[in-house]
Amino acid sequence: MAFVPPKESFAGRVFPVTIGSEVQETFGGENTLPFHTFEGEVPHRPLIAYEIQDVPPDDWPETVRMVYDGVSDDPVKWARHCVEELKARAITLRLIGTHPDNKDLSADDAAKTVSEVLGAVKVPFIVLGSNHVEKDSEVLVKAAEAAKGHNCIIGKAQEANYKTIAAAAMASGHKLIAMSELDINLSKQLNILITQMGFEKERLITDPMCSALGYGLEYTYSVMERIRLAALAQNDAVMQPPLVGDVGMYVWKIKETQAPEDALPEWGALEQRGILWEALTATSLMLSGAELLILRHPKAVDAVEGFIDELL
Amino acid sequence: MALTGVEIFKLLPKTNCKKCGFPTCLAFAMKLAQRQVTLDACPDVSDEAKRILGEASAPPVRPITIGAGDKAVKMGEETVLFRHEKKFVNPNVFALEIKDTEPDDVVEGKINDLLTSEINRVGQLLRIDAFCLTGASGDAGSLEGLAKRVAEKAPDVPVIISTEDPEAAEAALKVFGGKKAVLYGATEANAEKMAALAKANGAVLGVRAEGLEPLTALTEKVKSLGVEDLVIDSGARRAREILEHNTFIRRAAVKKNFKPLGYPVINFVQRDDPTMEALIAGLGVAKYASIVVISSAEKWKNLALFTLRQNIYTDPQVPMQVEQKIYKIGEPTEESPLLITTNFSLTYFIVSGEVENSRVPAHLAVMDCEGLSVLTAWAAGKFTGAKIANFIKESGVEKEIKHRELIIPGYVAILSGAIEEKLEGWKVTVGPREANALPSFLRSRAA
Amino acid sequence: MLIIGEKLSIIAKRVREAMMKRDKGPIQEIARAQHKGGAGMIDANIGPAEDGGEELMEWMVTTIQEAVPLPVCLDTTNYAAVEAGLKVHNNDYGLPMINSTSNDPERFPMLELAARYSCLIIGLTVGKGGLPADEEERSAIAAEIMARAMEYGVPLENLYLDPLVLQISTTQEQALKVIKTIGMFQELNDPPMKTVVGLSNISNGCPRHVRPVLNRYLLALLMYEGLTAAIADPLEVRETVKTIDVLMNRTLYAHSYLEM
Repeated sequence: MAFVPPKESFAGRVFPVTIGSEVQETFGGENTLPFHTFEGEVPHRPLIAYEIQDVPPDDWPETVRMVYDGVSDDPVKWARHCVEELKARAITLRLIGTHPDNKDLSADDAAKTVSEVLGAVKVPFIVLGSNHVEKDSEVLVKAAEAAKGHNCIIGKAQEANYKTIAAAAMASGHKLIAMSELDINLSKQLNILITQMGFEKERLITDPMCSALGYGLEYTYSVMERIRLAALAQNDAVMQPPLVGDVGMYVWKIKETQAPEDALPEWGALEQRGILWEALTATSLMLSGAELLILRHPKAVDAVEGFIDELL
Repeated sequence: MALTGVEIFKLLPKTNCKKCGFPTCLAFAMKLAQRQVTLDACPDVSDEAKRILGEASAPPVRPITIGAGDKAVKMGEETVLFRHEKKFVNPNVFALEIKDTEPDDVVEGKINDLLTSEINRVGQLLRIDAFCLTGASGDAGSLEGLAKRVAEKAPDVPVIISTEDPEAAEAALKVFGGKKAVLYGATEANAEKMAALAKANGAVLGVRAEGLEPLTALTEKVKSLGVEDLVIDSGARRAREILEHNTFIRRAAVKKNFKPLGYPVINFVQRDDPTMEALIAGLGVAKYASIVVISSAEKWKNLALFTLRQNIYTDPQVPMQVEQKIYKIGEPTEESPLLITTNFSLTYFIVSGEVENSRVPAHLAVMDCEGLSVLTAWAAGKFTGAKIANFIKESGVEKEIKHRELIIPGYVAILSGAIEEKLEGWKVTVGPREANALPSFLRSRAA
Repeated sequence: MLIIGEKLSIIAKRVREAMMKRDKGPIQEIARAQHKGGAGMIDANIGPAEDGGEELMEWMVTTIQEAVPLPVCLDTTNYAAVEAGLKVHNNDYGLPMINSTSNDPERFPMLELAARYSCLIIGLTVGKGGLPADEEERSAIAAEIMARAMEYGVPLENLYLDPLVLQISTTQEQALKVIKTIGMFQELNDPPMKTVVGLSNISNGCPRHVRPVLNRYLLALLMYEGLTAAIADPLEVRETVKTIDVLMNRTLYAHSYLEM
């Protein structure tokens, strides 16, 4: 029997999204399943963005907190460190300090941080709120304004607050992350609602909600895979924005990245375990469809970049 | 093409004799259609029916078992490309490579690493499943020596013998007689000899060719030599080729019913850097490998790989369940609130996540409702007043908290009276319907 | 096509309050409206009804049958409540139906009741834990339920197989599988097995204006496959039933067929 490679091509294509102003990065744009260069076009490599935040990372576990010792007390220093020392291609600034239970920083404080950080380095930026539905609607409006002209990604817009946030992103010419909670149908619905406001679907990034390896990863994995198949095989334009995996935040709060080896010897070395946990969560989500990854540990970023090198 | 249950039923004796363990031939036929049983369970089936059913019911990826006894592992039988369509059936094997050129202490260390690799994660025992003993020296005696050492120290662990030298293969295989080893090394050059060895020793044969076309030719050749229990290697070593070849192999088998590639796939992912090796191994886990050969078994790496394999091979139809117990979120005291929900893992992840977000330490009672969500569990009679009351009483939470207030999901507000009636001295408070309202609910109470 | 009126359910606030207060008015009003809308049976869903279920089911059955000359579908997981309902049921209006047994051992006793009271019973094709993946798995469970029904002495013509309609908003791929299952169920026996669905579950969780659309089109597809009965809102689906009957050449067409 002769073997004929059972290639598949698709009618649909993921939208390419370009961010940044002076220095730009583009991700998405493929018309095939993740890394299927053997049967379709994968014009851009996935983009990995280093995560920094507006306040010191006191609640990050030691493995990843220590890496930024001496720079993380100031977001400008932190951003510079990521770009100059770690060669970050993009940065995610999470305004976690604005959360009412954190430092409850004001929207003006946030805007000031955004201006300072964006003024200090040239790589593309993703500016995220604290995931507090009400507070984000204030904070992200000012943050989007402060970042005007920088062609950032603003996020995250959720069902409860998408109107204000999408309007702000639109007014200042940014891209937007639309987040729903592990439900492919709600994800499509939110993208529809946002585009019905006049926000172009080509400027959206879908976040179906991340989960860490061992903590629901299979849900995110399958939702991403299904969204990708809808975009490609069903040519569903609403599902064609690229996907983001906000990995670091979910990985560095679980027990596997925190429990010391002397407490759980059967789990092995803590540092390597944490780094691998973040990297493996990220690569698994890339294989299911994520084109934009938000990570924390430099060694995890390096490993994931190495993995991408082997695939492209 | 697979037959439906009713088509199979027509080929059965229709005596409802129950000898197969099922109440009727129809019930048995339905199980056959789903490949949950095999035809040998029916003692009275005709040869004609056997022939038709045998052809029709062969799964697209041949089932292969390696090893013997408790630690034998089954591979293959996959039917889909994406895990949301249907469960991935047989989790991949992780095989730890030992080379016959490695110094004694390294060999000793690896045997020990494998033997101590077992970890219990959410109720499943996970481990490195097999050894891959590689004849890197080119010396038959050296591989045999390694085989003997492994057989002595780890007699129950399935093995893959990796060599293309028939002489070395024979010597090593003899050490594992009756243990269904994998003889990995049939190539275009040595296929006849290797096939004869596999047959003589009851081994599974690993075949390797460079590329999918040569691999197709080789599996057909080996099959014509009378060996059908195969694992296949397309020669892919880099991630890009592994993804391409594994995808084509799975697609050809599942979608085209292409028999020459309908066998479990073996991937070799050894790298100098263990983190990178783990990532490539992860590619094998997610993308259709049945055996993933690794070069080291650090505990931290094992944990991550086992967890990924468990996640990928979870049945998407059976809701993942979390253990029934009272979970502590934050550092709750005896004054902290007590909430209850069901043990559907997604429900648990979302509710516990929102409680965490609220930063109000709390006790979260998670009740076994067979993995159903709150409203479904209530409707199915699994999340009822009496059952909740019983669970709270037996959970021992009354010793951990001073207050007697239980917060129930808003969707089952209807239960509050029934619970209060059955839990004497308790007050039931109705919480929000959706988890995302929990932070403001908990904080307003705490204030 | 047998429509089993679904509106008397504890999930509806008005019904729940009437049940709690034992207020016959709303219950009988709803029963009459459903009868008029074309229901051939009335579903009485009292929920798990752990406490006082027996007395409540008795009251529901008599209350309904005082108002309409129809049999009642006894919808609860509470065995004693079902039996209480069967005892007072007026079989002159037709055989009552138990809703339901399944492949979960906890539900087997319902078959014993169905045999003892010679009534109809729904066999929900689910097992313990987990939802059926596809039509093959549903049929396998159906075969087991059928075998068990025969053991208990329930004639197969009294068994209505239910493939379990799932929500389109959460498990979209299941809708087509359910449709295919209806055809497959019928092949499991000769004469063909009877089938039933809880129709409106398809649109559970969907916006109000979308729900009747989904319910009606699904019913049309299921009727084409040969569905015997549906638990549904008769007022919502009666035009669908009449139209499909006409299209499938089961009733004679006339310009006023919808008014008949």
